[in-house]
Amino acid sequence: MAERTSVQAALSEQLLLAVVEQLKLPLLQIARRAELGDAKTLPEIQTTADAAVKLLDNYLFGARLALDGQYELELEPVSVASVLYDSGQQLDALAKLYGVELELSLGGKFGPVMAHRSGLQSALVSLGYAMIEALPAQETSKLRLQLAAHRCRYGVVAGLYADADQLTTEALRLGRRLHGQARQPLTSVSHTSGAGVFVADAILQAMHAQLTVSKHHHLKGLGTVLQPNLQTQLV
Amino acid sequence: MHILFIEPDRLLARTYRQALELAGHTVHVAATAQAAVQAADEQRPDVVILELQLVGHSGIEFLYEFRSYDDWQAVPVVVLSLVPPGEFAGSRQLLAEQLGVHNYLYKPHTSLAKLQRTINQYTPVA
Repeated sequence: MAERTSVQAALSEQLLLAVVEQLKLPLLQIARRAELGDAKTLPEIQTTADAAVKLLDNYLFGARLALDGQYELELEPVSVASVLYDSGQQLDALAKLYGVELELSLGGKFGPVMAHRSGLQSALVSLGYAMIEALPAQETSKLRLQLAAHRCRYGVVAGLYADADQLTTEALRLGRRLHGQARQPLTSVSHTSGAGVFVADAILQAMHAQLTVSKHHHLKGLGTVLQPNLQTQLV
Repeated sequence: MHILFIEPDRLLARTYRQALELAGHTVHVAATAQAAVQAADEQRPDVVILELQLVGHSGIEFLYEFRSYDDWQAVPVVVLSLVPPGEFAGSRQLLAEQLGVHNYLYKPHTSLAKLQRTINQYTPVA
């Protein structure tokens, strides 16, 4: 029990460091934009501030899970298409600001999957913020991000996908190892602390799910495998 | 003055570019070290502003590459980074003497006005 508590505390501290480091960026964007003193930039400042607040909210969600000892989210039948759609709504303004084209791509019709609805949405939105920021920093030719779901052997994969060849299982593994110790743990894909990725990681773990590198059509991204709700399938 | 601004964050890059263009400079933005080397070759900058935290090759790697060419030995480089200068306390000599970093500005403590003042210290390459 004591060991679990210390693991949780360490996880929470690492997340805190990553989030604090990450928050410098939107605050700087706001400060410098405001210094420019152009009234036309007010909506941009608002979008940036909103994104920062949501990241904080998601971090708090993950950190509370880590700290309060529950560390498990109750699963219920959830429509994955609906979660992806709502996540897209939350990410749309920031994507536009960064010039990233955001698309919804559903590879078929899915029945309900077992997930914690707001947990899954928080994880996808956190991931989305991280990927929206990171894509232009890679000088990729096409700034396109797909919120997507498709069937796989183990269930339904939901995640975010882009033209990002550098995003590999090895890069994610190294990132997890360096998380909390390095300023830029996902060095081949992101110039930031990648807090959104690790917040998503923490939330998904509380749903007994994992964040993995996967493919959607010819795009690469980060997603999680969700189990179909077998009860509904029987009916 | 022709400025090569190496900044991975698109929103910050846009703000810096606007501010410097308003002050009469020509600004070329590059997000990665690779794009920056190419831009330096094409644009012949008078000064380079550099973030050290880049995707893939770091700002330090860019500096090694940049300084390896004779043409670019004398081009002033100003580091404008999210990495606090304290983290380079033991490597100041390397940054200043070997890699030719003229100024190290910590981004959170550097207003647009301060950046302007720093850039104005340099004169365009003839």
